[in-house]
Amino acid sequence: MRVSSATYGWVGRIARVDLTSNEVRVQELDENLATAYLGGRGLGVRLLYDEVGPSVDPLSPENILIFASGPLTGTKAPTGGRFSVSTKSPLTGTILDSNSGGKWGVRLKGAGYDAIVIQGKASHPVWVLVEEGGITIKDARHFWGLDVEATTNSLMGQVKRPDLASVAGIGPAGEKLVHCAAIINDKSRAAGRGGAGAVMGSKNLKAILACGGRKPAIADTEGFDFVVYEARKTLKQSPLTAIALPEYGTAGLVRVINVLGALPARNFTACQFEYVEEVSGEALQNHLLVKRGACWGCPIGCARVTRTEHDQGEGPEYESIWALGPECDVHDLQAVAEANYLCNRLGLDTISTGVTIGCAMETAERGITDFPARFGNAQGLLKTIEDIAYRRGWGDALAEGSLRFAESYGATECAMQVKGMELPAYEPRAMAGQGLGFATSNRGACHLRGNMLGPEILGVPKRVNRFIFEGSAGLLIYHQHLAAIFDSIGLCKFAGFALSDEHLARMLSTATGLPFEAQTLHLIGECIWNLERLYNLREGFTHRDDTLPRRLLEEPLTQGPGKGRVVNLAPMLDEYYRFRLWDSEGVPTPQKLRQLGLKEGQC
Amino acid sequence: MLEEFQRIGRDLFVSGLVSSHGGNMSVRLGDRIVITRRGSQLGQLTAEDLIETGLHKDDSNIMLASSETPVHRAIYLNTAALAIVHAHPRTAVAFSLLQDEIVPVDNEGSYLLHRIPVVSSPIASGTGLAEVVATALKRYRIVMVRGHGCFSIGQLLEEAYQLVSCLEESSQILYYLRTIGGEMKEYRDMSDQYKKW
Repeated sequence: MRVSSATYGWVGRIARVDLTSNEVRVQELDENLATAYLGGRGLGVRLLYDEVGPSVDPLSPENILIFASGPLTGTKAPTGGRFSVSTKSPLTGTILDSNSGGKWGVRLKGAGYDAIVIQGKASHPVWVLVEEGGITIKDARHFWGLDVEATTNSLMGQVKRPDLASVAGIGPAGEKLVHCAAIINDKSRAAGRGGAGAVMGSKNLKAILACGGRKPAIADTEGFDFVVYEARKTLKQSPLTAIALPEYGTAGLVRVINVLGALPARNFTACQFEYVEEVSGEALQNHLLVKRGACWGCPIGCARVTRTEHDQGEGPEYESIWALGPECDVHDLQAVAEANYLCNRLGLDTISTGVTIGCAMETAERGITDFPARFGNAQGLLKTIEDIAYRRGWGDALAEGSLRFAESYGATECAMQVKGMELPAYEPRAMAGQGLGFATSNRGACHLRGNMLGPEILGVPKRVNRFIFEGSAGLLIYHQHLAAIFDSIGLCKFAGFALSDEHLARMLSTATGLPFEAQTLHLIGECIWNLERLYNLREGFTHRDDTLPRRLLEEPLTQGPGKGRVVNLAPMLDEYYRFRLWDSEGVPTPQKLRQLGLKEGQC
Repeated sequence: MLEEFQRIGRDLFVSGLVSSHGGNMSVRLGDRIVITRRGSQLGQLTAEDLIETGLHKDDSNIMLASSETPVHRAIYLNTAALAIVHAHPRTAVAFSLLQDEIVPVDNEGSYLLHRIPVVSSPIASGTGLAEVVATALKRYRIVMVRGHGCFSIGQLLEEAYQLVSCLEESSQILYYLRTIGGEMKEYRDMSDQYKKW
């Protein structure tokens, strides 16, 4: 059975844009596919598994790039402005999806498409116009070389209804195939991690302008309005989503995480930052904040519009403050903010960029390389960001990511990464479950695959002992599945600080008219997670890749509440595999695959 | 883990949510579950009161495990729950003998629970009960078994316990409201929708 034009929640259409043949084909979204994988990340992994095999180079025309909204994207569901970009990662070689907010996903759906799949490679730079009347491939040679802001301004200048339009594009970093290049939409929202921007650049695709104001049809409007009302009420009653995030943005985490000894500094050689007050959420609010901002349909509003003495833009948020600040020992908040603006314009992932530079700084400190910027060198940081984006000088080697850079100097221990992706802003020696999450994440070190920030730091749903390993696996798995759901239905994970799976299931059921139960969603999340695992296994990854940098496993913390601790990964990993019904080598058992309706032998 | 069981068990007893030897709790550890001993006192738990047994099948420890182990297993196998609390909140049990659902009217109960279905099983434990409870918990985080008690699920025991505590408080408020009599002044928007939750 196929989804018809009368479908609720979903639009019911996927566009295939072949840049090699210059053809556009529209296909209907299969209902079985939609109910089994929902949309966004789930839809992405299914299509990638079926269409991009292990022989495909991520930067070759054979790789595909899937932009997919979810069934709640563009609806009244709070935070319903999200979309995912799925592809094979040039940074890690793993499956990748990067999720973003803003309003681009809403406009894609508003133009009449749940997803757009980019295939092949254009013979010259192009951009793609997606509108209700159809999809057109256009010449972008005059845009090539421009930064994200200039490209966005140029394209938005061509539309009659800017309020119903949005641009997702790459900057010079994507054009130069920098492995941590991001796709930036609405100038400052990033599908940041894993190098989706480089894949876009490899296809000679500069940008996609989505124009559309259609609203998704809702099956049970009365029921949907009630659940949405309840969800918004719940968001308003949570101090996290009603006070902390609106007031300080994610930057409010800087001091909190530092006090707990979980804020890495100087490339994870420290877990507390002595200059924390200078880069805190309070400092940002007092010195840089112009006004607050929010993605489309979001009542939380964690975005920050900021200004320095020389520049202005959005952010930096917590991860960016950390990666471009404490990670590199930089405590000049103006420089951190400007580094963040620069990454957005050049189209770079702030986390990987900062951690890769932090890695290079450490090699210089230890006399391994002659990299010109040592820890704390803010100007060196800014220059290196540009060098990476344009692959100039040292930037060319750093553009390959921290692992390849460090390996080339025999200094792998300086690369703080898992599966090639740089670690985000949490010290695993002080957050055991988060460490397990980094080790097992399907796209490399990432907090967004299953964030233990809730139970280990914020007390959501309740506070657990972050140093105790027992029980971490089950809790992490729960959050990994829930994260897959958020990424697939089109809502922001921050809503999960207040909303329960009951809210999600009821919003989805009333929107689509299909009977989703809370527990069905967990099962779908598990299915997505296992299919991603199968994809990585097919690519040649093994249980040996489910690990952490040696520093975190062997060198005890020297300060903070976690002083003396390392990550005791092996027992957690054993528990994790057992819990997942995977074998001792991390391969899903036939029994598990049967439970999930996945075919045996797919790996 | 023992500490967590002791903390929650003590609170359940002290707040009157279970009688001296009533109720049970469990957590899931992958393909194993840890459940309170049959006949244990939740208010006085010791290490020997925590029984580890298989999630999918029995082992010899089943001799010691709670008689409601099949219900706990069915719940774990049908939901993403990592912890279960089974208690006998007396006001809620009384309501379960009169009606098919409990719809809180107080603020906390309204937004946390919305609606608690009452399910029935002629036998207090065993497969029939397991199936009906596990099915209901696919949609709800807490469910009442008529004349018996409630089962609640969570990521942690504390989370499941909160739902039980909230249910009993909401039930008491409903009881007081009916005892006092008169017409309730509605303060919630869209309150007629709670029955559809």
